[in-house]
Amino acid sequence: MRRTLLVAVFLVTIPVLLTGLSAAAQETIGVIRSSEGNATVTRGEKVIPAAAGTKLQAGDTLRTGPDGSLGVILRDNSTLSLGPESSFVIQKFLFSPAEGKLGLMARLSKGTMAYLSGLIGKLAPESVRFETPTASIGVRGTHFAVKTGEFASQ
Amino acid sequence: MPRRLAACIAILLLTAACATTPKAPPPSGQDVFILLPDEQGKTGSIIVSGAGGKRLLSEPRQAVTVAPGAAPGEPFVMPREEVRALVGPALAALPKPPMQFILYFKHDDIELTNESLTKVQEVVRAIRERGPVDVSVVGHTDTVGTRRYNFRLSLKRARVVAALLTEGGVAPSILSITSHGEDNPLVPTGNEVPEPRNRRVEVTVR
Repeated sequence: MRRTLLVAVFLVTIPVLLTGLSAAAQETIGVIRSSEGNATVTRGEKVIPAAAGTKLQAGDTLRTGPDGSLGVILRDNSTLSLGPESSFVIQKFLFSPAEGKLGLMARLSKGTMAYLSGLIGKLAPESVRFETPTASIGVRGTHFAVKTGEFASQ
Repeated sequence: MPRRLAACIAILLLTAACATTPKAPPPSGQDVFILLPDEQGKTGSIIVSGAGGKRLLSEPRQAVTVAPGAAPGEPFVMPREEVRALVGPALAALPKPPMQFILYFKHDDIELTNESLTKVQEVVRAIRERGPVDVSVVGHTDTVGTRRYNFRLSLKRARVVAALLTEGGVAPSILSITSHGEDNPLVPTGNEVPEPRNRRVEVTVR
């Protein structure tokens, strides 16, 4: 009798957990604070204009045109920006300090970027990593900028 | 005559080399990484890893270049003007760091301290003045009590602050409420340590 009850509880909880998980996957990880010139967010197949206020999700690719730039604030209070002719993807963003889930992984494949670290960088600096076509960056502290080489502009 | 000309050119090249700063601008076929001081003038450090090598940058405007498939080169300090020329527009687009307010609570309670209660109006004003914003309201506790209990307590604290902001005219749609329990203390302590500075809600205006 008790076992059936347990099974019933499981059957009810599993779908709840699953919907919880898929909701987490769509979670907002940050917001575009400023946008100049031609700038877009590519999410899956969709390309949306990157305007101030546009909410970002993990996996989004940010692109700027020849006159474009973007300023972004992530949920952990880190800030990042792109200069013109840039392409940048936030591959992973985890910010749940209560569960010890922290991490930021991003890749600049083209152009220029700047970054100022926030809480993830303070609580778990080893979990912050940026990549470019030639190298990866481990961030032990706060502020840096990157420009990729011309070879990357294909 | 041709020899003399060659000698002249050699001297010219040498003096030109001496006149310029020791390091030529990085070749355009390489990625450039530049460590910068933050707003408070503090410089952290980054580690740049390329194929078969890594470099630590720890000085203001220290930079390193990396060619495809190569180890990072020798770090050097980049002149300000060159930093601007390379990454100026990106630096100009970097948003101001968010504004943060900390409101404190009474022990094991969802009631704000008197001082913090008056500060709520300041927060409301800042939200109005900054224009279109996102506001996160994050509850915290000290380490007295179980982790689970504190997670709930800090959620209640966050909701109290959110309600006060809404009363002050802030649209509920721009508020996001989170609970960090005892895991993100302002002042690190051992377990079961009463610490007024950790009983708080942090309101961040972005």
